[in-house]
Amino acid sequence: MNKKILPLLIVLLAASVSSFAQTNSAPGAATAGIVAATNQFLASLDEAQRRKVVFDFKDDAQRRRWSNLPNAIFKRQGLRMGDLTQPQREAVLGILAAAFSSQGYEKVLQIVDADEWLKKSSGETMFGRDEYHVSFLGQPSTSEPWMIQFGGHHLGLNITLVGEQRTLAPSHTGAQPAIYELEGKTVRPLGHETDKAFALLSSLNESQRKLAILGFQMRDLVLGPGRDGQTIQPEGIKGSALSEKQRDMLLDLASEWTGILHEAVAKAKLDEMRKNIAETWFAWSGPTEKGSAAYFRIQGPTVVIEYAPQRLGGDATKHIHTIYRDPTNDYGVKWWKR
Amino acid sequence: VVEAVSGTLRRLPLLLVFLGVPSVVFAHRDDQYLQATLVVIEPRGVRLEINFTPGVAIAEQVVARIDRDRNGEISENEAAAYADSLKRDLTLRIDGRKLELRLAGFEFVPPEELRTGSGIIEMEFSASFGALTPGAHTLALKNRHLTAIGVYLINAVQPRLATIQITSQKRNDNQSSGEIEFTFHPVPLKTDRSAAPK
Repeated sequence: MNKKILPLLIVLLAASVSSFAQTNSAPGAATAGIVAATNQFLASLDEAQRRKVVFDFKDDAQRRRWSNLPNAIFKRQGLRMGDLTQPQREAVLGILAAAFSSQGYEKVLQIVDADEWLKKSSGETMFGRDEYHVSFLGQPSTSEPWMIQFGGHHLGLNITLVGEQRTLAPSHTGAQPAIYELEGKTVRPLGHETDKAFALLSSLNESQRKLAILGFQMRDLVLGPGRDGQTIQPEGIKGSALSEKQRDMLLDLASEWTGILHEAVAKAKLDEMRKNIAETWFAWSGPTEKGSAAYFRIQGPTVVIEYAPQRLGGDATKHIHTIYRDPTNDYGVKWWKR
Repeated sequence: VVEAVSGTLRRLPLLLVFLGVPSVVFAHRDDQYLQATLVVIEPRGVRLEINFTPGVAIAEQVVARIDRDRNGEISENEAAAYADSLKRDLTLRIDGRKLELRLAGFEFVPPEELRTGSGIIEMEFSASFGALTPGAHTLALKNRHLTAIGVYLINAVQPRLATIQITSQKRNDNQSSGEIEFTFHPVPLKTDRSAAPK
């Protein structure tokens, strides 16, 4: 390559990356970035693929078609990552990178990597990176409602966008294994969730613990996939019975879910939670020793988060399911449903 | 996007490093029968919305109880018969008084879907307790359905009406039985001023 052109190309590339980063981090501008990334992906598809991946925004059956289960058991629609070319797969990741915060994006990749690990170690071809699906409801738009779905084993992400408003509710994250080695490093896709929950629990005094700890087993999520539109009676300790520091810890824990989305909207969601913190509950079920397999729930007027280790014969700390919901705005209904 | 793509490309060689990892047991709810009940309390009665999810290893056992003629389909009669057997395994009481359960609806997925371990049977029962007296009440539910393989959840749904307030929920260790304490405070009828004589 011409030595004079190379530095120029580097400068141009750096400028374009910088420009994207600025666009992506400016509040109110990220939807345009997500639309651009989605259009780039859609433009790379042929007509048959486009017909498979884009659904009508009113298609409620597709809206609710998500699960924690592998695709061999729960049939997803849309396009399978394994059926895409490498540039198309990278374009899908580009959409997620535009929609998510850097830590949210990393978490999602680590969950997918865990499934790849599971495939390699179990020899089961129903697992792995190829088995994730992408789909859309509606056309990418900076003003009209539309939706991005990305899911597979232990991942059911539903991002509804209406103008500059976005929500991840309802979405499922999980991991098996919840801890694995990659390139000599220990990876824990849901490690922050686990550590912050135990830190919050250990900050509670004896009387607070009596309120927070439920006296029975929680063997699964209560409001997992398939339980749309339900709100259960909250239990545990109420935010009004927590200290200021403990309330901050509770919000910090919740930010592991609310913060998956891009910072521009994640902050607004956390601010909304902070406003309702006195009416937000924290419940715990199971052992209290740090790192043990315990269930917890955060429930407030606009949020339900559950974390449930799966006691299915193996080490429950290595197989985790979680759910994130907004009882007032799952699928962003308050922004578009009339 | 560029960052995402370059990040992905950076990771590609790393993702190939999966050699020599210890084997892991893939586990979903294989030998358990999840029975998750949501309890909806209303001023004149209660609804039980129960989702049943048989695990892969015991799904055949459950299917055999439902698809009695083994023709690979669940008929209305077979579904109703299974619902009836389940009803006999449920006991619901209000303030110690046993309530009569009525099957309000059901939805069965085909047997082949149940055998995958992800198929869900949805069932709804209702019971009327007549006019409640204002004040505190206790609703008690016991589920004895297939206890050898059963895994249970019981949760009260947040009442939609302000006249009912859940005050506490208690369960036994495995949640096969539970008590929901609630209060009922009927709203006094508002005087219709427009109809009042002048």
